[in-house]
Amino acid sequence: MSRIRREGAVEYRFEHPDDFRAHVRDGKSRKPSDKLRTAGEAVSAFLHDGDYIVYDFSSLTRGPQALIREVIRQGKKDLWIGAEFTLHESALLTGAGCATRIDVGFLGYGNYIGQAVCDGRVKVYEWTNGGLALRILAGARGVPFLPTRDLLGSDNLAVSAAKVIEDPYTGLPVCLVPALNPDVAFIHVHQADPHGNARIFGTNLFALEAAMASHRVIVSAEEIVEPDEFRKDPMRTTIPYFLVDAVVHAPFGAYPGAMPARYEIDLEHVDLLNGIRTEEQMKKYLDEYIYGVADHEEFLDKRVGAARMKELRRRASIVEGYR
Amino acid sequence: MSRTVEFTDTEFMIAQGARLLEDGKSIFVGWGIPQIVAILAQKLYVPNVVQLFEFGAVGPQSVLPFVRGTMGGPQNTYRSLQWLNMNWAFAYSASGYMDYGMLGALQVDPYGNINSTYLGGTFEKPERRFAGSGGGNQVASHCWRTVIIIKHEGRRFVPKVEFITSPGYLTGPGAREKAGLPRDTGPYRVVTSKALFGFDDITKEMTLLSVLRGMKPEDVVKDMAFRPHVAKDVTEIPPPTDDELRLLREEIDPSRIIIRGERMSATA
Repeated sequence: MSRIRREGAVEYRFEHPDDFRAHVRDGKSRKPSDKLRTAGEAVSAFLHDGDYIVYDFSSLTRGPQALIREVIRQGKKDLWIGAEFTLHESALLTGAGCATRIDVGFLGYGNYIGQAVCDGRVKVYEWTNGGLALRILAGARGVPFLPTRDLLGSDNLAVSAAKVIEDPYTGLPVCLVPALNPDVAFIHVHQADPHGNARIFGTNLFALEAAMASHRVIVSAEEIVEPDEFRKDPMRTTIPYFLVDAVVHAPFGAYPGAMPARYEIDLEHVDLLNGIRTEEQMKKYLDEYIYGVADHEEFLDKRVGAARMKELRRRASIVEGYR
Repeated sequence: MSRTVEFTDTEFMIAQGARLLEDGKSIFVGWGIPQIVAILAQKLYVPNVVQLFEFGAVGPQSVLPFVRGTMGGPQNTYRSLQWLNMNWAFAYSASGYMDYGMLGALQVDPYGNINSTYLGGTFEKPERRFAGSGGGNQVASHCWRTVIIIKHEGRRFVPKVEFITSPGYLTGPGAREKAGLPRDTGPYRVVTSKALFGFDDITKEMTLLSVLRGMKPEDVVKDMAFRPHVAKDVTEIPPPTDDELRLLREEIDPSRIIIRGERMSATA
């Protein structure tokens, strides 16, 4: 007897919780080791064509932009992105031919990506921010789904793979979202040690949940600190090392977005990205800022410049609450 | 002495939205204009309002000027009571702690259903694609009272939205409860750049309550693609006050990127 009252019918990423558990047992080491890698090494080793990626936080705040540029530089294909707040990086990943599916979230609008959706060059599925965050929590919690009292009554239900069933406790309709266990999580943090212990200052979307739920985790960090720092102040640990596969030292890794209390958003560069409408403009941007430089360090040196970085650091004057 | 005040339609929409909030209540703030409304309200009228943002900022008191495009930056998470994450933010709303939710909308229908996803064509092949839900679906589902902020353009008020991104009263009385949404929730007001609407207690349909001073109900209803109910006594809304305009223009958005819009005037 099926209790399903309504369900969406689109493709969705799902893995049996026991299969993910087996991966955690066999594929994730609890032994501390030096995981410092360059962005090129980490992306090449841990991200494969066809993978599902999630990241934390957004395009404009603490997003793993250096890692995303590296993905584009390496020409990864057929990626499926789970994106809560995605403005320009979905456009870049689509324009560069890397991404073919996006679960949202909030999709940057009015520019290149909107047209790409209309043209059918990228498929978008609607889970909503709360739905995606809950899917990742389910993935981290080792359960096949979690219930929620939203999505109900909306058309997002039909274009996700959420299901509505009768709640055995209240008898009311309740919405279920399936667990999400991404292939890879990218998380940009304030501080990390070489083993992968990581600290975020400020709010986040689902940094810990995504790190727990993902097969492979690449942390990029503004600053590399000693492992002992974490044991001195455990309240501040966002992600423990045994969830992490690679640590990339990436100062200004969230550029052109902001890193709270470290540097401000570069609105001029964001406007340049948001202004991309045509294939020609996209190609010009990718050539100049991504393909035309060897790595993140060269990008900062040749395309951003020390003066600009100094100014963006100066503008990050609010430090209260961040440490 | 009466005098004429000049302002933009956006400034009026923000100002009248700010006057709606109640002190000592909580509000789940959506992306964009609702952020500005909440900031103005907290500065002028409701110092003890608790703002909540979906990325986990609980009770922030934003730093000015407002930086466009940011949500999780230090400016609008400043002096929060608590910093959390998204699953906890929606836990606050789902368990009933959020009195108000405030959302922008691309399109709205008589039952207060919101479309923010696409216009024209089909979901798979839209003519124009927009941002979609973000956390709007959760806000409209969970908060006790949802306030919708929308420019008063006729094409935005349609008999039936093309896609329900965030639920209003769906198909009418009882439909939210039947769908499984939390009891006694739903749209409360629609704040536009010309008027204020509520929802009829019985039919749950949008009802014109007030218009900008100097306008007639017919002026605001005529270009809407559906005919809303009109309250027996439509009241007038005063134009933005000097304090509201000064804060908006000098402190919140000195570059006037957000508050720009169509020029309007009314008698102060």
